[in-house]
Amino acid sequence: MKLHATRLFGPTIALASALALVGCGHTDVTKGRVEAALAPTFANLYVQQAIILGHPGVTIASAAASATCDRGGPKVADKGPGADWICMIHFTDDAGHAQDGKFELQIKSNSCYTAAGPSNLIGLVTITDTRGNDVSNPVFEFDGCFNPAT
Amino acid sequence: MTTTEIATSTPGDRVETERATRSPGVITVLGVELRKLAAQKRARFALLGCLVAPLVVTVVLKGQQRPPKDTLYGRHVHDSGFAVALFVLTFATQWVLAFLTALVAGDIFASEDHLGTWKTVLTRSVSRTQIFVAKCFAACLFATSVLMVLAASTIASGVMLVGRQSLVGLSGQLILPSNAAVLVSASWATALPPLLAFTAIAVVVSVASRNPAIGMVGPIVLGLVSQLVGWLGGIDTARRLLPTTPFDAWHGLLTEHRYYGLITQGALVSAGWIAVCLGGALLIMRRRDITGG
Repeated sequence: MKLHATRLFGPTIALASALALVGCGHTDVTKGRVEAALAPTFANLYVQQAIILGHPGVTIASAAASATCDRGGPKVADKGPGADWICMIHFTDDAGHAQDGKFELQIKSNSCYTAAGPSNLIGLVTITDTRGNDVSNPVFEFDGCFNPAT
Repeated sequence: MTTTEIATSTPGDRVETERATRSPGVITVLGVELRKLAAQKRARFALLGCLVAPLVVTVVLKGQQRPPKDTLYGRHVHDSGFAVALFVLTFATQWVLAFLTALVAGDIFASEDHLGTWKTVLTRSVSRTQIFVAKCFAACLFATSVLMVLAASTIASGVMLVGRQSLVGLSGQLILPSNAAVLVSASWATALPPLLAFTAIAVVVSVASRNPAIGMVGPIVLGLVSQLVGWLGGIDTARRLLPTTPFDAWHGLLTEHRYYGLITQGALVSAGWIAVCLGGALLIMRRRDITGG
Protein backbone atom coordinates (compact mmCIF):
# COMPACT_ATOMS: atom_id res chain seq x y z
CA MET A 1 0.00 0.00 0.00
CA LYS A 2 2.87 2.34 0.85
CA LEU A 3 4.39 1.61 -2.52
CA HIS A 4 1.20 2.67 -4.29
CA ALA A 5 0.92 5.86 -2.29
CA THR A 6 4.47 6.92 -3.15
CA ARG A 7 3.97 6.01 -6.79
CA LEU A 8 0.94 8.30 -6.98
CA PHE A 9 2.62 11.09 -5.03
CA GLY A 10 5.25 11.94 -7.67
CA PRO A 11 2.89 12.37 -10.63
CA THR A 12 0.43 14.36 -8.49
CA ILE A 13 3.11 16.87 -7.48
CA ALA A 14 4.33 17.10 -11.07
CA LEU A 15 0.80 17.70 -12.34
CA ALA A 16 0.12 20.33 -9.67
CA SER A 17 3.33 22.23 -10.49
CA ALA A 18 2.59 22.06 -14.20
CA LEU A 19 -0.89 23.46 -13.58
CA ALA A 20 0.48 26.25 -11.40
CA LEU A 21 2.98 27.20 -14.11
CA VAL A 22 0.36 27.17 -16.85
CA GLY A 23 -1.95 29.41 -14.85
CA CYS A 24 0.49 31.91 -13.46
CA GLY A 25 -0.16 35.58 -13.99
CA HIS A 26 -3.71 35.33 -15.27
CA THR A 27 -6.68 36.42 -13.20
CA ASP A 28 -10.42 36.48 -13.77
CA VAL A 29 -10.92 39.45 -11.44
CA THR A 30 -10.27 42.67 -13.37
CA LYS A 31 -11.18 46.32 -12.80
CA GLY A 32 -13.37 46.39 -15.91
CA ARG A 33 -15.39 43.32 -14.95
CA VAL A 34 -15.89 44.50 -11.37
CA GLU A 35 -17.06 47.95 -12.48
CA ALA A 36 -19.35 46.51 -15.15
CA ALA A 37 -20.96 44.15 -12.62
CA LEU A 38 -21.22 46.45 -9.61
CA ALA A 39 -23.04 49.46 -11.13
CA PRO A 40 -26.10 47.60 -12.53
CA THR A 41 -26.28 45.41 -9.41
CA PHE A 42 -26.36 48.50 -7.21
CA ALA A 43 -29.00 50.10 -9.45
CA ASN A 44 -31.23 46.99 -9.24
CA LEU A 45 -30.98 46.92 -5.46
CA TYR A 46 -31.41 50.69 -5.09
CA VAL A 47 -34.73 50.43 -6.94
CA GLN A 48 -35.79 47.64 -4.55
CA GLN A 49 -34.85 49.81 -1.58
CA ALA A 50 -36.93 52.69 -2.97
CA ILE A 51 -39.92 50.34 -3.31
CA ILE A 52 -39.51 49.19 0.32
CA LEU A 53 -39.22 52.81 1.55
CA GLY A 54 -42.08 53.93 -0.68
CA HIS A 55 -40.03 56.49 -2.60
CA PRO A 56 -41.71 56.92 -5.97
CA GLY A 57 -40.05 57.49 -9.30
CA VAL A 58 -36.78 55.64 -8.70
CA THR A 59 -35.87 53.49 -11.69
CA ILE A 60 -32.67 51.93 -12.98
CA ALA A 61 -32.51 54.71 -15.55
CA SER A 62 -33.07 57.49 -13.01
CA ALA A 63 -30.42 56.07 -10.66
CA ALA A 64 -27.92 56.12 -13.58
CA ALA A 65 -25.29 54.29 -11.57
CA SER A 66 -21.68 54.01 -12.66
CA ALA A 67 -18.71 52.61 -10.76
CA THR A 68 -14.98 53.34 -10.56
CA CYS A 69 -12.92 50.75 -8.73
CA ASP A 70 -9.43 50.60 -7.34
CA ARG A 71 -7.57 47.90 -5.52
CA GLY A 72 -5.27 48.62 -2.58
CA GLY A 73 -4.24 52.17 -3.52
CA PRO A 74 -2.01 53.37 -6.36
CA LYS A 75 0.82 50.91 -5.78
CA VAL A 76 -1.25 47.75 -6.23
CA ALA A 77 -2.40 46.58 -9.66
CA ASP A 78 -6.19 46.79 -10.03
CA LYS A 79 -6.79 43.08 -10.51
CA GLY A 80 -7.07 39.86 -8.57
CA PRO A 81 -9.19 38.72 -5.62
CA GLY A 82 -8.87 40.45 -2.27
CA ALA A 83 -10.62 42.37 0.48
CA ASP A 84 -8.94 45.66 -0.41
CA TRP A 85 -11.07 46.77 -3.36
CA ILE A 86 -12.70 50.19 -3.07
CA CYS A 87 -15.38 51.24 -5.54
CA MET A 88 -16.92 54.69 -5.90
CA ILE A 89 -20.48 54.43 -7.16
CA HIS A 90 -21.82 57.56 -8.77
CA PHE A 91 -25.63 57.68 -8.85
CA THR A 92 -28.64 59.94 -8.66
CA ASP A 93 -30.63 59.53 -5.44
CA ASP A 94 -34.42 59.57 -4.94
CA ALA A 95 -34.37 63.36 -4.50
CA GLY A 96 -32.58 63.85 -7.82
CA HIS A 97 -29.20 64.75 -6.29
CA ALA A 98 -25.96 63.33 -7.65
CA GLN A 99 -24.22 61.18 -5.04
CA ASP A 100 -20.90 59.38 -4.73
CA GLY A 101 -20.84 56.39 -2.40
CA LYS A 102 -17.70 54.59 -1.31
CA PHE A 103 -18.22 50.82 -1.30
CA GLU A 104 -15.79 48.31 0.14
CA LEU A 105 -15.58 45.10 -1.83
CA GLN A 106 -14.36 41.70 -0.86
CA ILE A 107 -13.77 39.81 -4.10
CA LYS A 108 -13.16 36.08 -4.26
CA SER A 109 -11.21 34.20 -6.90
CA ASN A 110 -14.45 32.62 -8.16
CA SER A 111 -15.61 36.02 -9.46
CA CYS A 112 -18.11 36.64 -6.66
CA TYR A 113 -17.97 39.60 -4.35
CA THR A 114 -19.53 41.11 -1.25
CA ALA A 115 -20.03 44.87 -1.28
CA ALA A 116 -20.64 47.03 1.80
CA GLY A 117 -21.99 50.54 1.30
CA PRO A 118 -21.77 53.79 3.27
CA SER A 119 -24.67 53.97 5.75
CA ASN A 120 -24.89 57.78 5.63
CA LEU A 121 -25.92 57.53 1.98
CA ILE A 122 -27.81 54.29 1.71
CA GLY A 123 -29.11 53.70 5.23
CA LEU A 124 -28.50 51.25 8.03
CA VAL A 125 -28.62 47.45 7.99
CA THR A 126 -32.38 47.49 8.52
CA ILE A 127 -34.85 49.98 7.11
CA THR A 128 -38.52 50.60 7.85
CA ASP A 129 -40.93 49.77 5.07
CA THR A 130 -44.16 51.61 4.22
CA ARG A 131 -46.14 49.45 6.67
CA GLY A 132 -43.76 50.16 9.56
CA ASN A 133 -41.93 46.83 9.57
CA ASP A 134 -38.18 46.59 9.95
CA VAL A 135 -36.72 44.80 6.95
CA SER A 136 -33.15 44.24 5.81
CA ASN A 137 -31.69 46.97 3.64
CA PRO A 138 -30.89 45.46 0.23
CA VAL A 139 -28.05 47.89 -0.57
CA PHE A 140 -26.38 48.00 2.87
CA GLU A 141 -24.40 44.88 2.04
CA PHE A 142 -24.90 42.65 -0.97
CA ASP A 143 -23.40 39.73 -2.88
CA GLY A 144 -22.90 39.46 -6.61
CA CYS A 145 -21.05 37.44 -9.22
CA PHE A 146 -19.79 38.30 -12.68
CA ASN A 147 -18.90 36.41 -15.83
CA PRO A 148 -15.15 35.73 -15.79
CA ALA A 149 -15.13 35.26 -19.57
CA THR A 150 -16.34 38.65 -20.82
CA MET B 1 -31.02 -26.83 -7.67
CA THR B 2 -34.53 -27.66 -6.51
CA THR B 3 -37.24 -25.18 -5.67
CA THR B 4 -36.87 -25.62 -1.93
CA GLU B 5 -33.17 -25.00 -2.19
CA ILE B 6 -33.75 -21.75 -4.06
CA ALA B 7 -36.29 -20.62 -1.51
CA THR B 8 -33.82 -20.96 1.35
CA SER B 9 -30.78 -19.82 -0.57
CA THR B 10 -28.60 -16.79 0.18
CA PRO B 11 -28.35 -13.82 -2.22
CA GLY B 12 -25.14 -15.25 -3.64
CA ASP B 13 -26.89 -18.45 -4.62
CA ARG B 14 -29.68 -16.56 -6.30
CA VAL B 15 -27.10 -14.94 -8.53
CA GLU B 16 -25.91 -18.38 -9.51
CA THR B 17 -29.39 -19.39 -10.62
CA GLU B 18 -29.74 -16.17 -12.62
CA ARG B 19 -26.48 -16.95 -14.35
CA ALA B 20 -27.82 -20.30 -15.39
CA THR B 21 -30.64 -18.64 -17.33
CA ARG B 22 -28.71 -15.79 -19.01
CA SER B 23 -25.09 -15.14 -19.76
CA PRO B 24 -23.53 -13.04 -17.00
CA GLY B 25 -22.31 -9.56 -17.79
CA VAL B 26 -22.09 -6.04 -16.49
CA ILE B 27 -25.83 -5.94 -15.75
CA THR B 28 -25.62 -9.07 -13.58
CA VAL B 29 -22.70 -7.69 -11.58
CA LEU B 30 -24.42 -4.31 -11.31
CA GLY B 31 -27.46 -6.05 -9.84
CA VAL B 32 -25.29 -7.77 -7.24
CA GLU B 33 -23.47 -4.53 -6.41
CA LEU B 34 -26.72 -2.60 -6.02
CA ARG B 35 -28.12 -5.30 -3.77
CA LYS B 36 -24.95 -5.12 -1.67
CA LEU B 37 -25.34 -1.33 -1.48
CA ALA B 38 -28.98 -1.58 -0.48
CA ALA B 39 -27.98 -3.87 2.36
CA GLN B 40 -25.29 -1.46 3.59
CA LYS B 41 -26.29 0.58 6.62
CA ARG B 42 -23.92 3.34 5.58
CA ALA B 43 -25.55 3.82 2.18
CA ARG B 44 -29.06 3.71 3.62
CA PHE B 45 -28.26 6.20 6.38
CA ALA B 46 -26.56 8.52 3.87
CA LEU B 47 -29.73 8.63 1.74
CA LEU B 48 -31.91 9.05 4.82
CA GLY B 49 -29.62 11.87 5.98
CA CYS B 50 -29.98 13.60 2.60
CA LEU B 51 -33.74 13.43 3.04
CA VAL B 52 -33.91 14.65 6.65
CA ALA B 53 -30.89 16.97 7.10
CA PRO B 54 -32.18 19.80 4.84
CA LEU B 55 -35.37 19.95 6.88
CA VAL B 56 -33.39 20.26 10.12
CA VAL B 57 -31.01 22.83 8.61
CA THR B 58 -33.92 24.94 7.37
CA VAL B 59 -35.63 24.86 10.78
CA VAL B 60 -32.38 25.88 12.50
CA LEU B 61 -31.75 28.66 9.96
CA LYS B 62 -35.29 29.94 10.43
CA GLY B 63 -34.80 30.15 14.17
CA GLN B 64 -31.58 32.13 13.91
CA GLN B 65 -31.61 35.89 14.42
CA ARG B 66 -28.59 36.59 12.24
CA PRO B 67 -28.40 34.89 8.88
CA PRO B 68 -25.05 33.24 7.95
CA LYS B 69 -23.77 36.01 5.67
CA ASP B 70 -20.36 34.44 5.05
CA THR B 71 -21.76 31.98 2.53
CA LEU B 72 -23.37 33.04 -0.73
CA TYR B 73 -27.16 33.43 -0.29
CA GLY B 74 -26.75 33.15 3.48
CA ARG B 75 -28.02 36.70 3.94
CA HIS B 76 -31.27 35.89 2.11
CA VAL B 77 -32.25 32.68 3.93
CA HIS B 78 -35.06 34.46 5.79
CA ASP B 79 -36.34 36.18 2.66
CA SER B 80 -36.95 33.29 0.28
CA GLY B 81 -37.10 29.51 0.37
CA PHE B 82 -35.15 29.43 -2.89
CA ALA B 83 -32.28 31.26 -1.17
CA VAL B 84 -32.22 28.47 1.42
CA ALA B 85 -31.82 25.92 -1.38
CA LEU B 86 -28.92 27.87 -2.92
CA PHE B 87 -27.30 28.43 0.48
CA VAL B 88 -27.38 24.70 1.19
CA LEU B 89 -26.02 24.03 -2.32
CA THR B 90 -23.08 26.39 -1.68
CA PHE B 91 -22.43 24.66 1.62
CA ALA B 92 -22.86 21.12 0.25
CA THR B 93 -20.35 21.71 -2.56
CA GLN B 94 -17.65 22.65 -0.03
CA TRP B 95 -17.17 19.09 1.22
CA VAL B 96 -20.50 17.41 1.92
CA LEU B 97 -21.05 16.08 -1.60
CA ALA B 98 -17.49 14.74 -1.87
CA PHE B 99 -18.00 13.03 1.47
CA LEU B 100 -21.34 11.48 0.50
CA THR B 101 -20.10 9.96 -2.75
CA ALA B 102 -16.85 8.78 -1.12
CA LEU B 103 -18.91 6.84 1.42
CA VAL B 104 -19.71 4.38 -1.33
CA ALA B 105 -17.19 4.99 -4.13
CA GLY B 106 -14.23 5.01 -1.74
CA ASP B 107 -15.27 1.65 -0.35
CA ILE B 108 -16.73 -0.29 -3.26
CA PHE B 109 -13.33 -1.65 -4.40
CA ALA B 110 -11.34 -1.44 -1.19
CA SER B 111 -13.97 -3.37 0.79
CA GLU B 112 -13.12 -6.45 -1.29
CA ASP B 113 -9.54 -6.08 -0.03
CA HIS B 114 -10.74 -5.38 3.45
CA LEU B 115 -12.91 -8.51 3.51
CA GLY B 116 -10.48 -10.55 1.43
CA THR B 117 -13.09 -11.38 -1.20
CA TRP B 118 -11.27 -10.45 -4.44
CA LYS B 119 -10.37 -14.04 -5.15
CA THR B 120 -13.98 -15.13 -4.80
CA VAL B 121 -15.26 -12.28 -6.96
CA LEU B 122 -12.67 -12.65 -9.70
CA THR B 123 -13.06 -16.38 -10.13
CA ARG B 124 -16.65 -15.84 -11.34
CA SER B 125 -17.31 -16.04 -15.05
CA VAL B 126 -17.15 -12.28 -15.59
CA SER B 127 -14.04 -10.36 -16.56
CA ARG B 128 -12.24 -7.89 -14.33
CA THR B 129 -13.27 -5.09 -16.67
CA GLN B 130 -16.93 -6.08 -16.38
CA ILE B 131 -16.69 -6.07 -12.59
CA PHE B 132 -14.90 -2.72 -12.73
CA VAL B 133 -17.56 -1.16 -14.97
CA ALA B 134 -20.40 -2.51 -12.84
CA LYS B 135 -18.87 -1.22 -9.61
CA CYS B 136 -18.28 2.21 -11.15
CA PHE B 137 -21.89 2.30 -12.39
CA ALA B 138 -23.16 1.38 -8.94
CA ALA B 139 -21.07 4.16 -7.35
CA CYS B 140 -22.31 6.70 -9.93
CA LEU B 141 -25.92 5.63 -9.42
CA PHE B 142 -25.54 6.13 -5.69
CA ALA B 143 -23.95 9.58 -6.21
CA THR B 144 -26.77 10.61 -8.55
CA SER B 145 -29.43 9.41 -6.10
CA VAL B 146 -27.76 11.28 -3.25
CA LEU B 147 -27.74 14.51 -5.26
CA MET B 148 -31.35 14.10 -6.40
CA VAL B 149 -32.65 13.34 -2.91
CA LEU B 150 -30.64 16.18 -1.35
CA ALA B 151 -31.75 18.68 -4.01
CA ALA B 152 -35.43 17.71 -3.84
CA SER B 153 -35.48 17.70 -0.05
CA THR B 154 -33.65 21.05 0.21
CA ILE B 155 -35.88 22.84 -2.29
CA ALA B 156 -39.01 21.35 -0.70
CA SER B 157 -37.89 22.28 2.84
CA GLY B 158 -37.08 25.84 1.78
CA VAL B 159 -40.35 26.34 -0.04
CA MET B 160 -42.45 24.74 2.72
CA LEU B 161 -40.81 26.41 5.72
CA VAL B 162 -39.71 29.79 4.34
CA GLY B 163 -41.93 30.20 1.30
CA ARG B 164 -42.04 30.87 -2.43
CA GLN B 165 -40.89 34.48 -2.38
CA SER B 166 -39.01 36.18 -5.21
CA LEU B 167 -35.28 35.57 -5.20
CA VAL B 168 -32.61 38.25 -5.42
CA GLY B 169 -30.24 37.28 -8.23
CA LEU B 170 -26.47 37.68 -8.31
CA SER B 171 -26.86 40.95 -10.24
CA GLY B 172 -29.33 42.31 -7.71
CA GLN B 173 -32.26 41.59 -10.03
CA LEU B 174 -35.50 40.13 -8.69
CA ILE B 175 -36.28 36.63 -9.98
CA LEU B 176 -39.96 35.66 -9.92
CA PRO B 177 -40.84 32.49 -7.96
CA SER B 178 -41.74 30.44 -11.05
CA ASN B 179 -38.41 31.29 -12.68
CA ALA B 180 -36.53 30.85 -9.42
CA ALA B 181 -37.84 27.28 -9.02
CA VAL B 182 -36.43 26.34 -12.45
CA LEU B 183 -33.11 28.13 -11.93
CA VAL B 184 -32.56 26.67 -8.47
CA SER B 185 -33.27 23.13 -9.72
CA ALA B 186 -30.92 23.71 -12.67
CA SER B 187 -28.27 25.03 -10.26
CA TRP B 188 -28.44 21.81 -8.28
CA ALA B 189 -28.21 19.82 -11.52
CA THR B 190 -24.92 21.54 -12.43
CA ALA B 191 -23.36 19.86 -9.38
CA LEU B 192 -23.73 16.43 -11.02
CA PRO B 193 -20.61 16.47 -13.30
CA PRO B 194 -18.19 17.51 -10.50
CA LEU B 195 -19.90 15.06 -8.15
CA LEU B 196 -19.24 12.23 -10.61
CA ALA B 197 -15.65 13.49 -10.94
CA PHE B 198 -15.29 13.10 -7.16
CA THR B 199 -16.83 9.65 -7.45
CA ALA B 200 -14.10 8.75 -9.96
CA ILE B 201 -11.44 10.20 -7.68
CA ALA B 202 -12.76 8.10 -4.80
CA VAL B 203 -12.70 5.01 -7.06
CA VAL B 204 -9.06 5.48 -8.06
CA VAL B 205 -8.02 6.19 -4.47
CA SER B 206 -9.95 3.13 -3.34
CA VAL B 207 -8.39 0.88 -5.99
CA ALA B 208 -4.86 2.21 -5.46
CA SER B 209 -4.83 2.27 -1.67
CA ARG B 210 -6.84 -0.95 -1.18
CA ASN B 211 -8.00 0.66 2.05
CA PRO B 212 -11.63 1.74 2.62
CA ALA B 213 -10.64 4.42 5.14
CA ILE B 214 -8.21 6.09 2.72
CA GLY B 215 -10.77 5.67 -0.07
CA MET B 216 -13.33 7.61 1.94
CA VAL B 217 -11.12 10.29 3.47
CA GLY B 218 -8.83 10.80 0.45
CA PRO B 219 -11.38 12.53 -1.81
CA ILE B 220 -12.50 14.85 0.98
CA VAL B 221 -8.91 15.92 1.70
CA LEU B 222 -8.28 16.36 -2.02
CA GLY B 223 -11.45 18.44 -2.31
CA LEU B 224 -10.41 20.71 0.55
CA VAL B 225 -6.88 21.12 -0.85
CA SER B 226 -8.35 21.85 -4.28
CA GLN B 227 -10.55 24.56 -2.76
CA LEU B 228 -7.61 26.06 -0.91
CA VAL B 229 -5.62 26.24 -4.16
CA GLY B 230 -8.68 27.73 -5.86
CA TRP B 231 -8.80 30.60 -3.38
CA LEU B 232 -5.33 31.73 -4.44
CA GLY B 233 -5.29 34.62 -6.85
CA GLY B 234 -3.45 34.80 -10.13
CA ILE B 235 -3.73 31.16 -11.15
CA ASP B 236 -7.11 31.26 -12.80
CA THR B 237 -6.22 29.15 -15.83
CA ALA B 238 -5.12 26.37 -13.49
CA ARG B 239 -8.06 27.03 -11.18
CA ARG B 240 -10.47 26.03 -13.96
CA LEU B 241 -8.89 22.57 -14.09
CA LEU B 242 -9.44 21.85 -10.41
CA PRO B 243 -12.19 19.31 -9.62
CA THR B 244 -13.94 21.71 -7.22
CA THR B 245 -14.21 24.70 -9.58
CA PRO B 246 -17.20 23.29 -11.58
CA PHE B 247 -19.20 23.35 -8.34
CA ASP B 248 -19.37 27.17 -8.77
CA ALA B 249 -20.71 27.01 -12.33
CA TRP B 250 -24.30 27.67 -11.23
CA HIS B 251 -23.49 31.32 -10.48
CA GLY B 252 -23.92 31.97 -14.20
CA LEU B 253 -27.59 30.95 -14.02
CA LEU B 254 -28.45 33.49 -11.33
CA THR B 255 -27.04 36.67 -12.90
CA GLU B 256 -29.13 39.08 -14.98
CA HIS B 257 -27.21 38.23 -18.17
CA ARG B 258 -26.79 34.50 -17.81
CA TYR B 259 -23.54 32.88 -18.78
CA TYR B 260 -23.24 29.19 -19.48
CA GLY B 261 -19.51 29.10 -20.24
CA LEU B 262 -18.58 27.89 -16.77
CA ILE B 263 -21.15 25.08 -16.94
CA THR B 264 -19.79 23.76 -20.25
CA GLN B 265 -16.24 24.19 -19.00
CA GLY B 266 -17.10 22.49 -15.74
CA ALA B 267 -18.65 19.52 -17.53
CA LEU B 268 -15.55 19.14 -19.73
CA VAL B 269 -13.16 19.43 -16.79
CA SER B 270 -15.22 16.90 -14.82
CA ALA B 271 -15.24 14.54 -17.82
CA GLY B 272 -11.45 14.86 -17.94
CA TRP B 273 -11.10 13.95 -14.27
CA ILE B 274 -13.49 11.02 -14.73
CA ALA B 275 -11.55 9.72 -17.75
CA VAL B 276 -8.15 10.02 -16.06
CA CYS B 277 -9.22 8.59 -12.70
CA LEU B 278 -11.29 5.70 -14.02
CA GLY B 279 -8.67 4.93 -16.69
CA GLY B 280 -5.97 4.82 -14.04
CA ALA B 281 -8.11 2.73 -11.72
CA LEU B 282 -8.93 0.21 -14.47
CA LEU B 283 -5.24 -0.07 -15.36
CA ILE B 284 -4.26 -0.71 -11.75
CA MET B 285 -7.01 -3.25 -11.32
CA ARG B 286 -6.27 -5.16 -14.52
CA ARG B 287 -2.56 -5.37 -13.78
CA ARG B 288 -3.04 -6.36 -10.20
CA ASP B 289 -1.83 -9.79 -9.20
CA ILE B 290 -4.36 -11.24 -6.83
CA THR B 291 -2.81 -14.12 -5.00
CA GLY B 292 -3.80 -13.42 -1.41
CA GLY B 293 -7.21 -14.12 0.15
